[in-house]
Amino acid sequence: MQQFTLFFVVHLTALFASTACIDYDGFLNMKLEHSLNCNDEKFCHRGSITLKSIRTGVPIIDQILFNEKHLEALKKLANEDEFYSIKTTITTGENSKGTEYLSSVKAQAFLENGLSDVINAWILPNGAVIAVNFQVANSTQPLKQATNEYKLNSKFYLRYIEQAPVPDTASYIQKMERDREAREKGEMKDNRSFLAKYWMYIVPVAIFVMISGATNPEASAPAGR
Amino acid sequence: MGNLSINLKPNFMGLLKCLNSINWFIVFFSLINLSMCIYEDQIGKFDWRQSYVGRIKFAQFDTVSTARKIIVATEENVLAALNLKTGQVVWRHVFESTSSGNIQLLHLSDQIITVTGSNPYLVRGWDLSTGVLIWEWGLTLQKNEHTDFSEWWVQNGLLVHMVPKFGSHIEVSVYNVATGHNRGATSKLPAVWINEGCVLSPPYYTCISGSPGNQLLLSMDVTSDAVQIISKPLAEYTTARNANLNPFDTNTVIPGFLLNEKIILIRGNKFEAINIAVSEPSASVALVDSASGPLVLQTWNDEAKGFTLTAHNLVSGQRVNEIGWSDRSLSIPEPELSAVICTKTAREQHVCRILVTAADDASHLIQQEGRVLWTREEALANVVAVEFVDLPVSDLDAAIESEFDQKEAAKMHSSVLAAFTRRLQSQFQQLQGAVRTLLAGDAAAADEPPPLVRDYFNLHKIMVLLTDAGKIFGMDNLSGEILWKLYEPNLNTEAAVMFTRRSARHPPHDAYLTIVGKHEETGNGLIVSLNPIRGTPVGEQTLHLDVQILQCAVLYKADAQKLHALILLDKDENVQILPESSAPLVENMYMHVADRSSAVVRGYALRHDGERVSAKNIWSVDLSGGGSQRVVWSVSKPAAERIHSAGRVLPDRSVLYKHLNPNLVLLLTEGPDPVHKDVVVATCVDGVSGGVLSAHVHRRARRPALPLHSEHFLAYLYYNDKQRRHEIATLELYEGPERWVPAGAAFSSLRGARAPHVQRHAYIVPAAPAAAALSATERSLTDKHVLLALSTGAIVELPWALLEPRRALSPAGEAREEGLVPYAPELPLPAEAVVNYNATLLRLTRIHTAPSGLESTSLVLATGLDLFYTRIAPSKTFDLLKDDFDYYLISVVLAALVLATYSTKYFAARKMLKMAWK
Repeated sequence: MQQFTLFFVVHLTALFASTACIDYDGFLNMKLEHSLNCNDEKFCHRGSITLKSIRTGVPIIDQILFNEKHLEALKKLANEDEFYSIKTTITTGENSKGTEYLSSVKAQAFLENGLSDVINAWILPNGAVIAVNFQVANSTQPLKQATNEYKLNSKFYLRYIEQAPVPDTASYIQKMERDREAREKGEMKDNRSFLAKYWMYIVPVAIFVMISGATNPEASAPAGR
Repeated sequence: MGNLSINLKPNFMGLLKCLNSINWFIVFFSLINLSMCIYEDQIGKFDWRQSYVGRIKFAQFDTVSTARKIIVATEENVLAALNLKTGQVVWRHVFESTSSGNIQLLHLSDQIITVTGSNPYLVRGWDLSTGVLIWEWGLTLQKNEHTDFSEWWVQNGLLVHMVPKFGSHIEVSVYNVATGHNRGATSKLPAVWINEGCVLSPPYYTCISGSPGNQLLLSMDVTSDAVQIISKPLAEYTTARNANLNPFDTNTVIPGFLLNEKIILIRGNKFEAINIAVSEPSASVALVDSASGPLVLQTWNDEAKGFTLTAHNLVSGQRVNEIGWSDRSLSIPEPELSAVICTKTAREQHVCRILVTAADDASHLIQQEGRVLWTREEALANVVAVEFVDLPVSDLDAAIESEFDQKEAAKMHSSVLAAFTRRLQSQFQQLQGAVRTLLAGDAAAADEPPPLVRDYFNLHKIMVLLTDAGKIFGMDNLSGEILWKLYEPNLNTEAAVMFTRRSARHPPHDAYLTIVGKHEETGNGLIVSLNPIRGTPVGEQTLHLDVQILQCAVLYKADAQKLHALILLDKDENVQILPESSAPLVENMYMHVADRSSAVVRGYALRHDGERVSAKNIWSVDLSGGGSQRVVWSVSKPAAERIHSAGRVLPDRSVLYKHLNPNLVLLLTEGPDPVHKDVVVATCVDGVSGGVLSAHVHRRARRPALPLHSEHFLAYLYYNDKQRRHEIATLELYEGPERWVPAGAAFSSLRGARAPHVQRHAYIVPAAPAAAALSATERSLTDKHVLLALSTGAIVELPWALLEPRRALSPAGEAREEGLVPYAPELPLPAEAVVNYNATLLRLTRIHTAPSGLESTSLVLATGLDLFYTRIAPSKTFDLLKDDFDYYLISVVLAALVLATYSTKYFAARKMLKMAWK
C-alpha cells in the first residue's frame, strides 16, 4: 500500500511540475531597444513587453511602427550582411535594477520575413530570466504596410525551464514487482512436462546427433567395401 | 550407396531448414563471447602504465635495509620508496589530496615516521622494506590558530612539535613516537622576539629581531629544560641592510643556518661563522656527513658553466676536488639538493650520491662524476592538457604521395617525359627500400627504435603533454618513452589550451602546435609554438602578449602554408590574428566567452573589414539566475568531429533525424537556491546565435562535472544531495521524422527558430567518478563508448546504449525491435568492462581519446598521478584479424584450392578429349 501511495505522490508531483514548475509569481517588464535609426545613441526604443503574471505567461506587446528611415537603415545593414541587434532590459518585482540581454538576427533575414520575429524568454523556476532570444520566423512574408509605416510582427513565448528527470527508481521497483508476480502466476499455470516445454531446444540437438550419426556410417561404408 | 543418398536428401533439406530456424541461436551464442576485456597474455601488449609520485618535498636515503632505496614524500601527498639504481617506484602510498593528506614530516630510523594532515594530525610508522603501516596515532590540538607555522622533528626517539606564536611565545610538545604518549605535556617558552622570518634547525629556533640598525641574532634550543637564549648583534655577522635567514636544504650534521650568503653554525651554545662563501644567492646549500668529516655542498645553475656543484670541507674550509663539477649539457633549472649521501671507497675517495630536484619538478640522482643515474620527470604527475599528433609519413611515401597529388603534378611535371622519369625514380627508390629491409633482416630491426614515421594504421603517434609545472613533453604513444621535453618557466598552465595548427600531412611544412597560456607573473597571454615531432620552437616561438586573453580559437580555414591561424580575443575585445596575413580568411567566425563568477555569456561575431578583424558583441545571456549561479563548465563539440549518420532508423522504417548543431554549447551552472538548497542548471546554447535550445534544473544537486558532448548527445554528472549519490544526466537532441534542412545543405544557426526535441534521462552511478571521456574514431562509424574513471582506480568502458535517454522502462514491441535496452535506474559497472584490468590508476584526473587510422580503434590516455595508455575497440576489432589468426592454415587451404582448380581443369580437358574420340 505504501508503495502505491508513493506511486501516487510521484505522479502528483509530476503533474504539478508540468503545470506549474515555477516557484515564484510576479510581474515581468521587458524594455526592448534596438540599434536602428538611433541618431547618436547606440540603442533606442523599440517597444516593451509586459506580463502581469509570469505563471500565466500572457504578454502585452507594445512596439513602435517602422518608418521609411528604419527600413532604409535595415536595408543598409542587410546589404553589409550585418546584424540587427536588440537589447532587452528586464525588470521584475525582485529585480528592480534590471538585467540586460542582447540578441541579434541577420538584418537580411529579418527583412525577408516581413519584420516578423519570435521572442523566447527562458525563465528559471525562481523567476529569473536567463535569456531573451530573438529569432526570425521561418517563413517568407511580404512587408505589412499601414499608411507609410510598417508593423512589427512579433510573437512572444515564455519558456519555463523544467525540472530535469531523476533516476526513476520507484517505477522500476514496481515493474520488478509486477514481473515477479507475473512469473509466480506463470509458474503456477505452466505445469506441462519437461519435454512439452523444451521440445524446440531438444529437437535441433537430436537432429544434429542424427545427422552426425548418419554421416559416419557413410564415411566408413566405402572403407568397408 | 545410392540408396543411402536418396534417404539423406530430404534429411539434408531438413537440416538446412533447421539451421535457418536456429539462426538466432547462433547469434545468441556469439553474443556470449562479446567480452570487452583482454586475455592475460595481452597485458602490456597495447597498454603501458607509468607511476609518478609528484614533486619531491622530502627525501632520505635508506641506509638501513639491504635493498637500497630513497624514501620520498611529495607535494602530491605521496609517500614512496624509489629504487636507488633505477628510480622505479618500489612501493607507494597515496594520501588524501586535501590538506589532511599533507605530509609535514618524513623521518627515517629503523622505520619510516611520517606526520600528515594539519590539525588533526596523524603520526604513522611504516616498514622500510615493504611500506606496510606498522602503527598510527592521531593528534588534535585544541587551539587551531597558529598551527600553520608549526614544525615537527624527531629527536632522541621522541617526536617534537613546536608551535610558534609570533611576538609572544613558543609551545613545545614532546611525544613518544610510537605510542603518542605525551612525555612532559606542553611547555610554553616565552619568546617575544619571534616572527615570520625565523628558521628552525632542530633543536634551535633562530630569528633576527629588533629595530633596523640595532638588530639582534637570537637563537634558542627549544627542547632543553633550561631556557637559554643565544643573542648576538647582527652587525657581527653581516652588514647587509636586509638580512635574511634561510635553512639548509639538507642538514644531517650540526644545527646551522644561512644568513644571507654566510653559513653560521650553532656549536656549544655559540654562533660560529664558517668562512666558506656561498657562491650564488640562489644556490642550494647542504650540510652532509662523510667519512672525512662534514661537507658543505652547494649547487646552482651557473650562466656560463651550466649546472654546477661544489663541495668544501666544513672543518678546514678546503675545497674537495673530487666532488664538484659543472655540466653544460644538464638542464636543471633552480636545482635543490633533496638528499645527499657520501661514503668513502677503499681508495680513500669520496663517493656521493646526490638527489637534485629542479624547478621543472624533475628529480635527478647524480653520482660523483656528474653521471646522472636516473631522472624522474615528476611534472608528469600533473598533466593539464594532451594532444595526439600524427607522425609525418616516411620520405618514400611522401614522394609517392606528391607524385599522385594532382595539383603538385600539374605544377611540376607538365610533360609526359618528366612524369615518366619521376615514376621510374620513385619505383627505383621503392625497390631500394625493399632490398635494404630484406638484407637487414629482423635482427637489426629489433635493436634500433622504430623510426618516427607514420605506420600503416596510423596507430603510432606523438602525444604532447602539457604539465602544471610548465614543462612540455613529447611522448611516444606506443612505448611511453619521452622523445623531447621543453621547459617554459614563465608559462602558467591554468586553463591553458593546445591546438594542432598544422598536421604533419603537408610534407614540405613541419607540423605546428601552439599552446596558449598565461604568463606566470603578469597574467598576460603567453603563446608557445613548437614542432610537436621534434620539440623545437617554430613560427611565433614564445610570444609574450601585453594583454590578457579572453578567448582563443583556431581558424577553420588554412592559409597557403596549410597553417590554421590562431585567433585571440583579448580583454578589450580586440582581435589578434596569428599570423597577421591570415586576417582576410576570417569569415563567418563566431566566439563566445563565459564569465565564471558573473555567469554572463557573451557571443561575438568576427568580421574582416578589409583592413583588420573586429569583434562585435551580438548576444549575451545571463545564467546567474538572480545572481546566485556561477558557470562551472562550458563544453562545445570536439573540433573536426565527423558524423557518420544523420539519423536513427526506427523499426517502422522511418528515420528519426538527429539535431546535429555544430555550434551547440553545454553550459553547466551551480549555485544556492532559497527553496531547494542547491540547484544545478544545464543550458544548451547555440554558440553563434545565442539561442537557448534547451535548459533544465536539477534540484538539490551539486558539483556538476565531467560533461561529455558529441554528435547529438550530451551527458554530465552531478551529485544528488538528497539521495547522496552521483548521477549522470543524459540528453539527446532530435529534429524529428523530417529533416529541417535538405541533405547536404550546410547548417545555419542564424536561420529558423525551430526547437529540437530533447530526450533526457538520468541514471545512478554506483561509484565516485573522477574523469570521463568519449571514445573517438576516425569516421565515427564505430559505436561511441563512454570511458568513466572511478576513484577506485578503474576505467570502465560503457556503451552509449546504456546511457541512452530513449531507454523505456518496459519497451513495447517496436522499441524492443530497435534494440533499446530496457530502462534500469542504476548503471551497471561490470568488472569485465574495466579497460585497465588490475592496473589501478591512482588519482585520475583526465582521460584523453584520439582516433587512429583504424576505424575500430580509439587511443586512450588517462592522466593523473599515473599515466596509462591503451587502445579500445568499442565495436570490437572488426577491421583487424585476430592475434591468433591462423595464417598457415589459410595459405595451405588457398594453395590446395588453386591446385585443385587447375588439376580438375586439366582432368576435365582430358576427359572431354576422350569423350570426343569416342
